[in-house]
Amino acid sequence: MPDNVGVMDRFVDRLPETAFFKFVAARILVPFWAWWTPVKPLPGGPHPSFQHGDNVQCMMNLIMPLKDKSPVGRAHAAMAIAQHKDAIFAGLNNVGTVHFARFVIVGDNICMFSVYDGDFTNYIRDFIATIGEVFDAVVGLVEGGEEITPCEKNVEAFIQWVHEHDLYQVPDTPTDFLRDQERLNGDKAVAPVNDDLTLLPRKMVLQLRANANVSLGSGYRAYPGYSVAQVRKQLGLGW
Amino acid sequence: MVDPSTAKRLVQVIHDNLPTPVPGRRPVHTIGIGVKGKFIASDVARTYCIAEHFDGAPVEVSIRFSNGLGGLEQHDGWSDVRGMAVRFHLKDGTASDLIATTLGEFFVRNVDDFFKFSEIAKREPFKRRHWLLKILDFLQLKIPQRNPYPGETQSIDEGALRYANQHRFSQLGIFQVGLIGAPESYARASYHAVHTFWVTAPDGVRRPVRFYWQPVAGVNNTDPKAELRDKYLFDELKERLKRWPARFMLMMTIGEEGDALDDCTKPWPGTRLRIAMGTLTLTGIPEGAEQAEAGERISFNPCRLAPGIEASNDPILEARLGAYEVSREMRGGCPFKWSADNA
Repeated sequence: MPDNVGVMDRFVDRLPETAFFKFVAARILVPFWAWWTPVKPLPGGPHPSFQHGDNVQCMMNLIMPLKDKSPVGRAHAAMAIAQHKDAIFAGLNNVGTVHFARFVIVGDNICMFSVYDGDFTNYIRDFIATIGEVFDAVVGLVEGGEEITPCEKNVEAFIQWVHEHDLYQVPDTPTDFLRDQERLNGDKAVAPVNDDLTLLPRKMVLQLRANANVSLGSGYRAYPGYSVAQVRKQLGLGW
Repeated sequence: MVDPSTAKRLVQVIHDNLPTPVPGRRPVHTIGIGVKGKFIASDVARTYCIAEHFDGAPVEVSIRFSNGLGGLEQHDGWSDVRGMAVRFHLKDGTASDLIATTLGEFFVRNVDDFFKFSEIAKREPFKRRHWLLKILDFLQLKIPQRNPYPGETQSIDEGALRYANQHRFSQLGIFQVGLIGAPESYARASYHAVHTFWVTAPDGVRRPVRFYWQPVAGVNNTDPKAELRDKYLFDELKERLKRWPARFMLMMTIGEEGDALDDCTKPWPGTRLRIAMGTLTLTGIPEGAEQAEAGERISFNPCRLAPGIEASNDPILEARLGAYEVSREMRGGCPFKWSADNA
């Protein structure tokens, strides 16, 4: 350290790690900036793209808050999945574009995490056609679910509901996160731009306040660029 | 092709922004170490590229690891871009070079951008930010400017930030430089060749690709809060290679229609096909006069490519072709034949 480092310098450098600062940040600074510079939650699901590689192995991270937030409510959700296991697996086979799918209970939420190929709305439409009953059973246990069941009769509303419960996928690079916010706010980047990159931490904090659950990055893929159909064909699985 | 006077200007601008002149040395990536190695292509590499070093036979390789900063002072512990320049020695005495750094994307798109960046991001006096201003930053939920390292009196950080604030294309590269840190070892960092190249397969299909080296030992940086060490990377590598060879996987990502082919500031999505092209094994570190050849006199060029690999139209890659040659001449680096019939 240079010689002119004083006591206050050392104290301030350590300040963000202190319980006092964390308390002030959480209780005062973040609420203040959220009020002063409101942030809209970024929409969930994969970023739209025409490119092949971006339209295979897409992620869906559906977080659905349970109506009954007790162990009994969670048990009901677990039973709904268990009772429909055959229907879910048959439906997933019939959809034919799903790499992986699983249901998970996290806290008071029932979650469906899946990796699929192709367009999101078609994916959900296929689901409604093949396992609509299962979704009705699960969504019936979830907050706001009654408005979209039976899903066969509320297809568009159901798709929109799923999209709203799909997590925002934070991009792989910090600058793409900034671009997402700019697009949402209608910033057309007219030259000359005059950004303040030092505001990135605040923008991220405020987005995570508005959007408490997010998916981080585009995720790892062992065989990027391949669809379910290609993998099955290559492995000789009789598809 | 960038004209010779522009290539000279490019190198001069870099020299002009150095803290002290470095006659006879590289103006950036000045501090480096030469290493010997062997590369063996994977079984699938030859199906994507006909270049000789991807045919599966072992290839002798020269590698130069370096710190990105220009100047004769060695500061291994500082957050800095690191370089890994690799030369594949071909049977006819020519070579194919692959120059990579720990930076995933570059911060300028072309020569004009570079000159403008150099004007704005000049070396400036660098002082510790006053604690009151840091408190102000914290209150705004900003991260304050970093503290200077011991002995660091000048920096381009402020200018680079100003440039990034005005040029969105540069923001990713400049962010990455700011967060890059110091590797625990040259053998524990990933190195990216940033530019797009075109590779030709045996069936004549040409594909746009980007290459990167992935360390088999894994990526690991030093703890930024630990006490800084100025010189450890050379000794660490020597000790590591005495115990066991270090390895890197050469990965090749294949671009798609719509991906940025001629712009090294734009990343390709992580969803692109990637192929393991082979394994590089670091076998030893030359000593004495041999090290002077392997670490200093050796001159790489990102456009020295074996048949089967071509440079894209990336203007920065084009500019590097001439600038590396100018820099080589200025420091008396070893000339190298570009093809079997040109000595």
